[in-house]
Amino acid sequence: MQVKGQSSGVDRMDVNQAKQEHLLALKVMRLTKPTLFTNMPVTCEDRDLPGDSFLRLMKDDPSTVKGAETLILGEMLTLPQNFGNIFLGETFSSYISVHNDSSQVVKDILVKADLQTSSQRLNLSASNSAVSELKPECCIDDVIHHEVKEIGTHILVCAVSYTTQTGEKLYFRKFFKFQVLKPLDVKTKFYNAESDLSSVTDEVFLEAQIQNITTSPMFMEKVSLEPSMMYNVTELNSVASGDESESTFGKMSYLQPLDTRQYLYCLKPKPEFAEKAGVIKGVTVIGKLDIVWKTNLGERGRLQTSQLQRMAPGYGDVRLSLEFIPDTVNLEEPFDITCKITNCSERTMDLVLEMCNTRSVHWCGVSGRQLGKLSPSASLSIPLKLLSSVQGLQSISGLRLTDTFLKRTYEYDDIAQVCVVCPYTSPES
Amino acid sequence: MDSSEGPAQRPVTLEIDGADETLEASVPPQTDPTEASFQEESIDLDAEAFASPQDYSTHTESLIDRLNDQMMESVMISDSPNSEEEDVVPIDSLLGQSEGEEVLESKTPDGDTEERKDDDAAEPEETTEPLLEEEIEEEKIAQAENKREIVPPDDSNPEAPKAPEMALEMNTDASPKEEPVPVCTIFSQAVPSKAQSLIPDGFQPTLVKSPSFTISSADTPNKLIPQVCQPSPSLSKFFTDNCVVNPASDFFDSFTTSTSFISISNPNAEPPKTAATPESPPQEAVPTSTYFAPVAAKPQVSPVEPVNKLQAVFSSGDDPFASALITSELDKRYDAWLPSDDTRKVLISVATQQISPVQIDREQLAMPGLKFDNLQCGNDLKQESKQKRNLCDLQGDAVKDLMQRFLGDQAAMKRQVLSANSVEQDFLGLKRLISSKNWRAAVDLTGRLLTAHGQGYGKSGQPSGHTTDSLQLWFVRLALLVKLNLFQNAELELEPFGNLDHPNLYYEYYPAVYPGRRGSMVPFSMRVLHAELPQYLQKPQETLDRLHRIKSVCQKILSNLQEGLAEDGSMINLTQDNRPASIQLWRSRLSRVMYSMANCLLMMKDYVLAVETYLSITEYEPEQSVQLLSGIGRIFLQIGDIRTAEKYFQDVEKACQSKGKTPDEDTSVLMNRAFVYLSQNNYADAHVCFSSVLKLDPKNPVANNNAAVCLLYLGRLKESLGQLESLVHQDPALYLHESVLFNLTTMYELESSRSTQKKQALLEAAACREGDSFNIQCLKLA
Repeated sequence: MQVKGQSSGVDRMDVNQAKQEHLLALKVMRLTKPTLFTNMPVTCEDRDLPGDSFLRLMKDDPSTVKGAETLILGEMLTLPQNFGNIFLGETFSSYISVHNDSSQVVKDILVKADLQTSSQRLNLSASNSAVSELKPECCIDDVIHHEVKEIGTHILVCAVSYTTQTGEKLYFRKFFKFQVLKPLDVKTKFYNAESDLSSVTDEVFLEAQIQNITTSPMFMEKVSLEPSMMYNVTELNSVASGDESESTFGKMSYLQPLDTRQYLYCLKPKPEFAEKAGVIKGVTVIGKLDIVWKTNLGERGRLQTSQLQRMAPGYGDVRLSLEFIPDTVNLEEPFDITCKITNCSERTMDLVLEMCNTRSVHWCGVSGRQLGKLSPSASLSIPLKLLSSVQGLQSISGLRLTDTFLKRTYEYDDIAQVCVVCPYTSPES
Repeated sequence: MDSSEGPAQRPVTLEIDGADETLEASVPPQTDPTEASFQEESIDLDAEAFASPQDYSTHTESLIDRLNDQMMESVMISDSPNSEEEDVVPIDSLLGQSEGEEVLESKTPDGDTEERKDDDAAEPEETTEPLLEEEIEEEKIAQAENKREIVPPDDSNPEAPKAPEMALEMNTDASPKEEPVPVCTIFSQAVPSKAQSLIPDGFQPTLVKSPSFTISSADTPNKLIPQVCQPSPSLSKFFTDNCVVNPASDFFDSFTTSTSFISISNPNAEPPKTAATPESPPQEAVPTSTYFAPVAAKPQVSPVEPVNKLQAVFSSGDDPFASALITSELDKRYDAWLPSDDTRKVLISVATQQISPVQIDREQLAMPGLKFDNLQCGNDLKQESKQKRNLCDLQGDAVKDLMQRFLGDQAAMKRQVLSANSVEQDFLGLKRLISSKNWRAAVDLTGRLLTAHGQGYGKSGQPSGHTTDSLQLWFVRLALLVKLNLFQNAELELEPFGNLDHPNLYYEYYPAVYPGRRGSMVPFSMRVLHAELPQYLQKPQETLDRLHRIKSVCQKILSNLQEGLAEDGSMINLTQDNRPASIQLWRSRLSRVMYSMANCLLMMKDYVLAVETYLSITEYEPEQSVQLLSGIGRIFLQIGDIRTAEKYFQDVEKACQSKGKTPDEDTSVLMNRAFVYLSQNNYADAHVCFSSVLKLDPKNPVANNNAAVCLLYLGRLKESLGQLESLVHQDPALYLHESVLFNLTTMYELESSRSTQKKQALLEAAACREGDSFNIQCLKLA
């Protein structure tokens, strides 16, 4: 509610007797957004006992909506009734009023408002110059704003110094403590689109779960992923239908307390980075989420996550990916695939390709073929032919690469899947 | 401050002594109190404190903890949701505050001996606030007790001496103004322990017609005796007497002429024995409007009138006037309702005389009774009796109490409000209380009238007959309880009515009394109220269930009407005029229910459904579409979705243009723009918009208030305050509203330390105009 401090206008039986009464009073009030007054309609009909008196009462009530008195949400603004909660990323606004309670003119008034957080101290006063004089019953007003960037205890320190008519210099301070809370819980998860086709293979999907852990509904104005320089991002949170794209969250983009929403993003490495080595190794920085929300009457908050990092999946020394594969093939008919083999190690390899038939997949061509030397980061494409003897969704397995230098064999199973159909029963034949 | 204890005990941590001295206030540490010096100094201090609490960890508590504890106190900022209680805090927290300062600045972790005490007093933050509040509460009570102790000597004597006064009053027709004093006391004092004893009982011995005595012919002398001779009317007598009595009928000068004759008492228990008084409404005869005057007048008419006569009237049913009205189309239209199947069966069997109402299982009947006694005469009640009435805060005139506390007894004496005693004891008096905003008194009066009807305190669960009037009284009573935010009381009293579908709540149940009349005795508005109530008691789902039930009945009735049937689906033909009128009525009822649903959904924060429902209301109430669309826009602003809000506001502009107004001339368009600016933190432009509304409509209270609020956010407290203050003083009728007063008192608190006096001025202003239902909490004086 109101953050009120008052100067030592109260005589206290202190050790050092009554303290001197200050001529000025300092009051502080947090300016959260005002709220709209809601009224409580109780109606009756003309024939009921009260007749039109209920209606007249409601019409006379200034807080009702004229012409639609039964609507509870009125137009009357009321000032904040309590301090409320303040959340990280919101703006702390406060009214600071220094009032001359005395009957004499006070001179050289300097009001200073500082915000002490656990790590720093900020000066929030709009002006740092002294007011030369303040007449009785007059105020010095200041409205301070500060975007809250830290969680935890904050202390607003207001200091007032002034000179009395007798030339006495006086000084007092007030402290107002408040806690800054966390508004959102953000969880992220990465999915690697490794088995996907073509050069898209390095796509990364980011799922971000954002939970509203405040107590009021929150309108998510913007939740975007700012990718790091290596990636381009596509947001997957709306479904395009015609010209308009509709949000996957429905018409109303607000989050009730404790509701969680899942945002999905697809990140593609920019070509220049994708080409380089063909792989991104180790920990990579994906980017950060930028979240802007609004609550009551446009009270705004903004947060960014720290840089999201992802451990790129290890591909071992040799990476085998598919550049081409049909999705549907006919039973017992050979079909082509193209494999891309990349040397991910730091040394040159000399590779031999072996192809082992499985229960359903039969490779055509010679097994044990020499692929030649492959220097680090280099890759080569190999067209292969194979057929399937079993219908249905079949997994392609059985490729073996052996590095003759190190006598090490790499096995590649479950590289991709094809749908095998019988051409004779297919509808078009 | 602690200079006396300081030097010796202080640990070496004293980079801060500057701060220390400053607090002592006489001389700033550095001779030049430039900001630089402050800053430096304070940075030292706080940085130390915060950055390295471990430095001081050797002390019993770490300094930072201690700081925090102390600061807590000094800080008024809190999350306490309860604004009123918050407001209480300032003074006390002040004390705490200065402690906070001391500790912080003096930083004498060792000054434990002294500080410990402070600590004890202060206690950890979480607890302090509640503590403060509690203390204050206690104070309040104590004060209240004092008051009570003071007051009685003035006007509350033991019962016995009172009685003469009362008699006197009767005779002299004391003016209503003086009235509240003694009369009320008698009863409230006589009554205290037994809530049973409803005041009216005491009052109207004359009217009380005990069954025995109506049956064995009225003996008027008997009635007068208790009143005059018996100093304090024996409660037991009245209570035993009144159980089957229905004196209310005398007062029921009904608001619908059609029913003015047919107040009956307990058709199922006794033969109808109402004192039907087809005379002109009593208030005309009774200028002074005391309770007694009509009594004096009536006995000659009613009690003497043999009951049988009345019965004859009903049974013959050929009083042309009455029956014409009874069967009127209007009644049919308004009373139409679709009972549940079970109830319908019972009603049919009653109508076909297969069973008599007496045989019906009590379980199936609605048997209401008052559950608590008076609200208003709390003033004059003794404290103990007040405590015994355990329901809610049945305080009397809170404004008067507050005046007593802050302005003294003298000022409080000036406070004049209508009480239940000072108006006619009938519907007109009731209406007067309602429109003068004396709702507590009005609730009391409904209590009396219901008691007279045999549905008084403790009568719940006992069979009693319903009439059109008795149900209207219940409706008014419950509606006022809701308006007074006494939801629990309302719920308690509504409970015997179940879901408003008992057979004895339908006219068909009383074929003798209401020959030919069909439909629900329960007014539609009472059904809506009954449905709305649970949402105020954190049971919004129940509210929605009930509203959906009402809605489906409305829809069924509408479809009956559209199919050419009567409201209840029967084949009765409606006349040409009646059908459209009936359709219109039921459409408006349907839209009323939809409004309630939307409002409830909004309270539940189910914005999606709320918006949908409000939108669907525009079909029924196209003339309200501007208000509804603006309202929906405001809902979106509340959520924070400004873009969608703007879309709805554009629709409003279109609607205005189609009415031929330019947007700049329309207050709602301007108002909406202002809200959008407000949501963009653009208070300056919002203020401009509100001001331009005022150019079109200088008296617009909303725009005036909102413009003042904007000024505050612009840092112009004095102007804002000046504007609101002058409004309240110039046009109290419009601006003595709790929202405006709340804003004003909030600004008073922000402005100076002397807000209390200014608030008291508001209290005085309110006291002159407002009734006993004025919500004193908005003054934040308590």
